[in-house]
Amino acid sequence: MPFDIPRTTATPAASKRSFLHENPSVLWFMGLLGVFTLGVTILSEGFGIGLISTNLVKILGMTLCLCLIAIAMDVVWGYCGILSLGHFAFFGLGGYAIGMWLMYARTEINIRDSLGRGTIPPTELEVSEAVAAQIFGVVGSSDLPLIWTFAHSLTFQLAMIVLVPGLLALIFGWLAFRSRVTGVYLSILTQAMTLALSLYLFQNDTGLRGNNGLSGLQNIPGALHVPQSVISMWFFWASAFALGAGYLLFAWVVAGKFGSVIRAIRDNEARVRFLGYNVEGYKLFVFTITAVVSGIAGALYYPQAGIINPAEIAPIASIYLAVWVAIGGRGRLYGAVIGAAFVSLLSSWLTGGGAPNIDLGFYRIVWTDWWLVLLGLGFVAVTLFFPKGIGGLFDYLVRKKP
Amino acid sequence: MSTLLEVSGVSVTFDGFRAINNLSIAIGEPELRAVIGPNGAGKTTFMDIVTGKTKPDEGKVLWGERSVNLLNYSESQIAKMGIGRKFQKPTVFEDQSVRDNLAMALANKRGPFSVLIWRPTDRDSARIEELAAEVGLSERLDDSAGILSHGQKQWLEIGMLLAQDPRLLLVDEPAAGMTPAEREHTTDLLKRAAKTRAVMVIEHDMEFIRRLNCRVTVLHEGSVLAEGSLDHVTGNQQVIDVYLGR
Amino acid sequence: MLSMHPTFPIERSLPMSRLLLLIAMFAAFTMTAPLQAQDASSTPLQDALQSVQADVASPSRSTVPQVLAALLQADAPGTVDFLRAWGDRAVYVRDADGLFFYAQDAPDRMLTLIDIDSGASVATTSSRDLSQIRPNAGVRREINAALVSFELTHPDPARRIAALETIARSPDADQIIPLTAARDAETDTRIIGRMDRLLDLLNARFATDTATRIDAIEGLRGDINTEARRVLNQTLQTRAEFASEIPAGTNVARIRTPGEDISLVDAYATLSDAGLAPPRPGRNAIRDALRANVVDGEVGGVPVHLLTTDERRREAYRALQEAGIVAPLVTEADMRAAVAEYVFFDAYLEADPVVTDAARDSLDSTRTAISFWQFASLSLDALSLASIFFLAAIGLAITFGVMRVINMAHGEFIMMGAYTGYVVQTVIPNYTTSLVIALPLAFAVTFAAGVVMERLVIRHLYTRPLETLLATFGISIALQQLAKNIFGTQARPLTAPDWLAGAIQVNDVVSVASIRVAIFVMALGFLLMLLYILNRTRLGLEVRAVTQNPGMAASMGINPDRINMLTFGLGSGIAGVAGVAIGLVAQVTSEMGANYIVQSFMTVVVGGVGSVFGTLAGATLIGFLQKGIEWFNPANTLAAQTFMVLFIILFIQFRPKGIVALKGRAAGD
Repeated sequence: MPFDIPRTTATPAASKRSFLHENPSVLWFMGLLGVFTLGVTILSEGFGIGLISTNLVKILGMTLCLCLIAIAMDVVWGYCGILSLGHFAFFGLGGYAIGMWLMYARTEINIRDSLGRGTIPPTELEVSEAVAAQIFGVVGSSDLPLIWTFAHSLTFQLAMIVLVPGLLALIFGWLAFRSRVTGVYLSILTQAMTLALSLYLFQNDTGLRGNNGLSGLQNIPGALHVPQSVISMWFFWASAFALGAGYLLFAWVVAGKFGSVIRAIRDNEARVRFLGYNVEGYKLFVFTITAVVSGIAGALYYPQAGIINPAEIAPIASIYLAVWVAIGGRGRLYGAVIGAAFVSLLSSWLTGGGAPNIDLGFYRIVWTDWWLVLLGLGFVAVTLFFPKGIGGLFDYLVRKKP
Repeated sequence: MSTLLEVSGVSVTFDGFRAINNLSIAIGEPELRAVIGPNGAGKTTFMDIVTGKTKPDEGKVLWGERSVNLLNYSESQIAKMGIGRKFQKPTVFEDQSVRDNLAMALANKRGPFSVLIWRPTDRDSARIEELAAEVGLSERLDDSAGILSHGQKQWLEIGMLLAQDPRLLLVDEPAAGMTPAEREHTTDLLKRAAKTRAVMVIEHDMEFIRRLNCRVTVLHEGSVLAEGSLDHVTGNQQVIDVYLGR
Repeated sequence: MLSMHPTFPIERSLPMSRLLLLIAMFAAFTMTAPLQAQDASSTPLQDALQSVQADVASPSRSTVPQVLAALLQADAPGTVDFLRAWGDRAVYVRDADGLFFYAQDAPDRMLTLIDIDSGASVATTSSRDLSQIRPNAGVRREINAALVSFELTHPDPARRIAALETIARSPDADQIIPLTAARDAETDTRIIGRMDRLLDLLNARFATDTATRIDAIEGLRGDINTEARRVLNQTLQTRAEFASEIPAGTNVARIRTPGEDISLVDAYATLSDAGLAPPRPGRNAIRDALRANVVDGEVGGVPVHLLTTDERRREAYRALQEAGIVAPLVTEADMRAAVAEYVFFDAYLEADPVVTDAARDSLDSTRTAISFWQFASLSLDALSLASIFFLAAIGLAITFGVMRVINMAHGEFIMMGAYTGYVVQTVIPNYTTSLVIALPLAFAVTFAAGVVMERLVIRHLYTRPLETLLATFGISIALQQLAKNIFGTQARPLTAPDWLAGAIQVNDVVSVASIRVAIFVMALGFLLMLLYILNRTRLGLEVRAVTQNPGMAASMGINPDRINMLTFGLGSGIAGVAGVAIGLVAQVTSEMGANYIVQSFMTVVVGGVGSVFGTLAGATLIGFLQKGIEWFNPANTLAAQTFMVLFIILFIQFRPKGIVALKGRAAGD
């Protein structure tokens, strides 16, 4: 059976073989992802026969981004044992970073368009003032905040997608790990960080439009004439590619000795220290790199969602992320993907009115009302009875066929 | 034989209780040393101090030729300098294979980036095989460490200690819970290891210590009560009073 | 009222002296009033008015005193109402018989007549048969002044106090004299005090004599009352002015140096607005001028498509300027030169510097007093917030301390308690009774819920604390959604009984809602109760034993399962009671628990796990911290919360185990 469990790697001869040979699950995953991407492309409105609506393509593309952050979460929690309740904050920061450019550049195009129609062409100052007034009119301001200074530069904002989450994770992680905050305390601390960030973003005067957030992100400057059915596919491909690359990266990271060390840290931090490993350095490395990947996932997600606001960053979102990973199965990357895809798609289906309501005669089960109850209780059940999650089912398959 | 580790005048207090009281002890290289003492004598706390887990209130812990004060270093730095520790309870990483456990302990670079790109060389693989043979786990290399027997876990841990190639081994009750045959194997392991490095064994079992046939330090209430050959210390009236006599 | 009078300042003295006379007369009549009441007719007011019918129907300033004299003599009930209505043009005279009525609008342009003595509807007539009496502004002023005197000397002290409050609400220079007179006649010391204060307020603003005014202003020193502050602030009102040199007799508040206290552009704009300098074409004006003068795709010789910088636009504008088409540009040097000719300053509206100095002085000491009281008020707020945090967190602290279990559903237990209170109130309408029942019931409900949760879920996860966190989180979202399904999404009221609804008003700055005091008392009660349970009972001993060393406790024969269950129940029960308390001050919604859960965690973590005093310290620190940050940035509570969380993150860096940390090996690693 091709699915292996990352924990039992390395047969004597395998150490000489290539990484993909050692980890056939990666090949399987890549194959399935490729087939899925191809399938969606063929069925899409933009490039195929139109069986899948543009809206559904967006949902699927967003789901791929959620899968990407889920594997990041799996590495930091399932492998390294840090239950971070802050990774969705990094996701949101990535979204804000790209959202700033999308919003600025699109508004600038519109403004130039309308000002250019006047008898006299606008000056740069007039353009940027008009852009600022349009973007920030909603929070009663017309000045461009300092953090938007380089919002017109795609390169700069692309760098921010990586740098902002990365630096925040680096600083926060350094503070937290060096004072040896672990376990439940660390989770609470990351939750506090997330809360502080979302409260900060909720303020109108922090320069990110308060609770209005950034909107209209589905319109891509430079491609404003391109129909959404095509743009949605571009993002779908980008998301699929990012998920594939992220999966490959993390599979490679956790497969080798590094994976061995971080799993050892998860199981017995003190012992790893006595082996001479700088535990804090490893945790910081894992925390930061997963934060960066989360930022990238967010930067791909929000242009498909079209809007980002501080509510997305609230601590609850990061907890849901942990729920997905737990349901899918911790400590195996494909488990995280399954969990994120399964729960988020089920949630869209049930709360989007797709599922039929059940009439019990004395009571009508309306899924929009009962979905969260089901999720909550289902989650308790998974924690109690299936700690390995859905991914654990593959163990049975592997064992049946020697 | 030169002095490798010198602990001098160390005291530590937990909530008013003096666990270590002006303790001074030294070990040379190579040397095999047994440390005995009643419960609460401060044996484990002594190891905690040397390995950096506990910071003492006063005193010095000097290491090596250049007499580095270990109190200024973290656990991982001390471990990298060449002090290996085996815990009382066998602590191996049960989720991982014996090979992975040994590979992690191998004396290679410990930084995250070098570990990330590390792939076993022929020399590393050979060393792992060699260590496995030494602790008698050649057949179990690709089994998960969690399914080993208690004694095998102890050996694996000793194997991991040896893989680190430390200059000083601190071994806490290695024979606990072992069958007589396993004990004999363990004794051999330790004696062989002590030919090239310093080994300090904490043990309760007098028979085991007798077989080690080495210098013995007796701890009591956080300081050294007696030191010398086993026969010498077992003849000491004080030792008989506080420890053997009970 | 102030705006009604400024046209008659000179005539003030004459009618006033007459009024004084009237007041004296009135005072004399009040003594004999009971005697007269005996032989009064059924319509004493109408009778009195008929005796001066012409003066009432077409009043002038000179005739008002006659009417007042007649009314005083009759001393009929309803006199005051009549005077007020008379002034408000609400009195009508029936043309047929000359009788006076109040009136109400009736359908078809008809009016319902109301008898001025009995207040009963008498008849409905066409408005054509009636004339509305329309006293002019001067007369109305007379009437109002008379009203004040009437009220200020009324035999009923309550009426006199009410009159004082009316004056305080709409102070007026005219009131000084009647008030002084009334003060001299007053015998009630309590009212004398109030009158003196009111006189100070009036004198500080209106006294014509500077010495009196300054005395009054001095009297307001340190008075934190809003009216006092308003009076002082009004005295210190300024107006921005400029002149080539400061005119003599101007009471200057401050001089504004252009470029420092006032921007050069603003200063210049003031001048150009006053027509003292040519207006400065701004960027927009330049653009508009260029736009208006495009000729063949060029402006002043510059092709239009090149006008994308200010530089080139000015160039084109200069070309236009030279052609004399547009107003000249004003350079910065021009502005400097123009502005240098003038002094810009703020002048007090009050011309006398002695008065403004005194007012400023008094206001300064008032400000000091206010700062003090605001600090006190802030401390009380912080204390109240700390009580809420303590109540919300103590249950969590107990369960976390004893069982090392983070209960993410703790917030939902708070919510459950609040909804229990709500349900009890829907059944029992009496708020006091329902509260008395709701508190223990909320405890019982959440205690039971806690025990059930412990038995079904948490018991099986003791060795996996992170998974407990997640499992309880699952319970939390399920409970939240259940509450939403049952009670809907809108906030439900949990009403405090009347005796808790008000506020304890210490002074104009400090007031504490009674409900917050009650919550403080409740938090204190729980603190004492917990201390008693933990330190004086067998259960407490066992709980402490399990907290410090579960393994040892078990080997001593303590059943940890039972202790865990009871502890969890107790922690949850307290959350329920806290829910009722929080529900009284906040809204009861399905999400209310979630709003408190992170703060509660912070409280526990900052305070130190497993200690009642730690939680107390944590709650106090966080409560005071949050209020303290709000003090520096009152407009933005979100910022306060952000900074608080950041502070806590840093705090944990330095004291990872919290304020009150368990020591030794028991604390574990």
